Amino acid sequence: MTLFALLFSIVFGIGSLAFGYLLTGFAPFARWIAFFGVLWLIAVWQRWRWFAYLGIAFNLFAAAFGLWLLNFPPGWMFAGAIGGLLAFDLTDFWNRVRFIDADEERRGFERHHLIRISLLAILGMTLASVAMFIKLQFTFEWAIVLIVIVVLGLTQLIVWFRQIGK
Amino acid sequence: MIPVSRPLFLSLLIFILLLIGLASLSSAVIALTIPILLYLFYGFWRGPDGIKLEIQRELSAERAVPYTPVTVKVTIINRGGDLEELKVEDVLSPSLAITNGSNRHLISLAKDGKFAFEYTVCGPRGSYPMETLQVEAMDHFGIVRAFQRVRTYGQLLVFPLVTKLKYVSIHPRRTRVYAGAIPARVVGAGVEFFGVRDYQPGDPPRRINWHVSARRVEELYSNEFQQERVADVGIVLDGRERANSFSGGRSLFEHSVLAAAALSDALLRQGNRVGLLVYGHYLQWTLPGYGKLQRERILQALAHATPGPSQIFEGLEYLPVRAFPLESQIVLISQVMEDDYGPLIQLRARGYQVLVVSPDSVAFEENLLPRQTEVQLAARVVRMERQLLIAHLKRAGIQVIEWNVSKPLDQAVGQALRFRRPIGNRL
Repeated sequence: MTLFALLFSIVFGIGSLAFGYLLTGFAPFARWIAFFGVLWLIAVWQRWRWFAYLGIAFNLFAAAFGLWLLNFPPGWMFAGAIGGLLAFDLTDFWNRVRFIDADEERRGFERHHLIRISLLAILGMTLASVAMFIKLQFTFEWAIVLIVIVVLGLTQLIVWFRQIGK
Repeated sequence: MIPVSRPLFLSLLIFILLLIGLASLSSAVIALTIPILLYLFYGFWRGPDGIKLEIQRELSAERAVPYTPVTVKVTIINRGGDLEELKVEDVLSPSLAITNGSNRHLISLAKDGKFAFEYTVCGPRGSYPMETLQVEAMDHFGIVRAFQRVRTYGQLLVFPLVTKLKYVSIHPRRTRVYAGAIPARVVGAGVEFFGVRDYQPGDPPRRINWHVSARRVEELYSNEFQQERVADVGIVLDGRERANSFSGGRSLFEHSVLAAAALSDALLRQGNRVGLLVYGHYLQWTLPGYGKLQRERILQALAHATPGPSQIFEGLEYLPVRAFPLESQIVLISQVMEDDYGPLIQLRARGYQVLVVSPDSVAFEENLLPRQTEVQLAARVVRMERQLLIAHLKRAGIQVIEWNVSKPLDQAVGQALRFRRPIGNRL
C-alpha cells in the first residue's frame, strides 16, 4: 500500500509540474522534469533513500521557478510541490514500515499514516490556495513582518502545545 | 545512511524558498512553504518528549539444547507520555534464528499503555545474552526522533547435546578417599579382583579361592579385592584453531565439544571430581568439582567455548599442568598434531594418566573433499602419519581412542571407553 502511494505521489508531483510547464509551452523543461521523475522511480526501485531529498528539493525549486519567473498557473505548481513532499515523507515511512514483520500490524500503520499525510496535504493545499486568493499589496516590509510573525508564532505554538502535552 | 536530518533539511528548504519569495516579492513562492511548515509543525507538536519505558523479558527456558525452540516474551509499559510511533527491536545474536513471530515491532503506545510480543528462537550451541532492547520513538511523520537502548536481563544458554555414555573406564595412579567406581590399587571392599592371600579367621567362606586352595592340602586361600574410589579428572578440550579448522570453514570443534560434554557427564555420574580446561584462544578453566552443580558449570563453560587462534597456545607446551592434581587422570579431546607428541610425553612422565579422545581429522576432511585419486592418495599418506603418531603415543603409555565423527560418539567409542585396561602401570 505504501509503495503504491509512494509511486503515485511521485507520478502525481512530477506529472503536475511537467504538465504545468507543458501547458505554457515549455516542452523541453517538461521533458527534463519527466526524465527526473523516471530517475526518481528508478531510485525507489533501487532503494536509494537519499534521492527523496533531491526529489523534494527539485520539485519545490521547479515549482518556485515556475511561479516566480514564468508566472505559471499556481495550481499545477502547488500540486507538484505537494507531490514532492508526499513522496519525501512516504520514502521514509516505507523504510520504517518495512521494519514490521506482521502483515496485520503493517497494514494498520500504513492506513493511519496515509490518512494523516493525505489530510495534511489537503490542508496545506487549501491554506496555500487561500493565501493566493487573498491578494494584498505584498511589499518587502510586509514580507519581513510576515516571516517574523510566522517564525515567532510557530515557536510559541510548539512550546505551548508541548506544555499541554506534559 | 543519510547524514542530514529531515527537519533540518526541510527547514533549510523553507528558508531558501522564503528568501526567493522575499527577493522576488512573490507571495506564491512564499505560499509554497505552507505545506512544509504544516508538516514540520505537526512533527514538532506530536514528537516524543522522551522515552520512559518499563521492559520485562521472559524466556520459556534459559537453558536449551541446540535448535530447541525457546519462546521469548517481551512486555513494554510506557511510563512517559504518548508515543505515536515506537520502533522496538529486541537485539539478538545473528546465530539465533527466529522460527515464529518477530523481534521487531512498530507500535503506538499511549501513556501507561502496555504492549507485549512473543517470538520463538532457536540456535546452535552457544551463550546468547539478551540484554539490550533498542527503541526509537517518533511522531507519525518521523520528524522528531528519540533513540534509546534499554538494558534488560536475559540470557539463553544453548548447551551441547549430552550423549549418555554408560561407563568410562579410567585408571589414574592416585585416587581420592571417597568411595567411587575406580579401582584404587589398594586392598579393600570392592568387586575388582586384586590378588590372593592366606586365609585368615573371619574371612567369609565365599571369599575363599577354592581353585588355589585345592592345590594345597592344609592351607586355604582367600581372594582380595580392590577398593573403588573416586578420582580427579581434568578434561582438556583442544580449542586451537589450527587443530580444528578445515577447508570450507568446517570445524571439528563442535564434535570435540560433544565428546567433552559426554565424557564429563559420565565421569561426574561415576562420582569423580571433574574439571574442564578449554585450551585455545585463551585458557578457560572450570575448577574441579562434584555432582550436578559441576555438570551445570561444565556445560555452561562448554556453551561459551569457541575455538580461536593464539600464538601463545599454538602448541600444548603451555598446558597448565599444575592445575591438575599430581598423578590424576587427564582426558584430552584433541585431534592431536604432530608437535603435540613432546608435551604429551612430558605429561605422562610427570605421572599423569593420559587418555586422548581423538576425533579422526583425516576421515573428517576426506569426507569434505571430492573423491579423486589424488585426494585419496593424500589421505592415505596423512592417515599413515597419524597412525604412526598414535602408535608412538600408545607406546609411551598414553591411551588413545580414535573417533570417526561420522558415527555417533556412544556407538563409535562407547565400547572402547568402557573396557580399557590400564597401560604402563603395575598393580
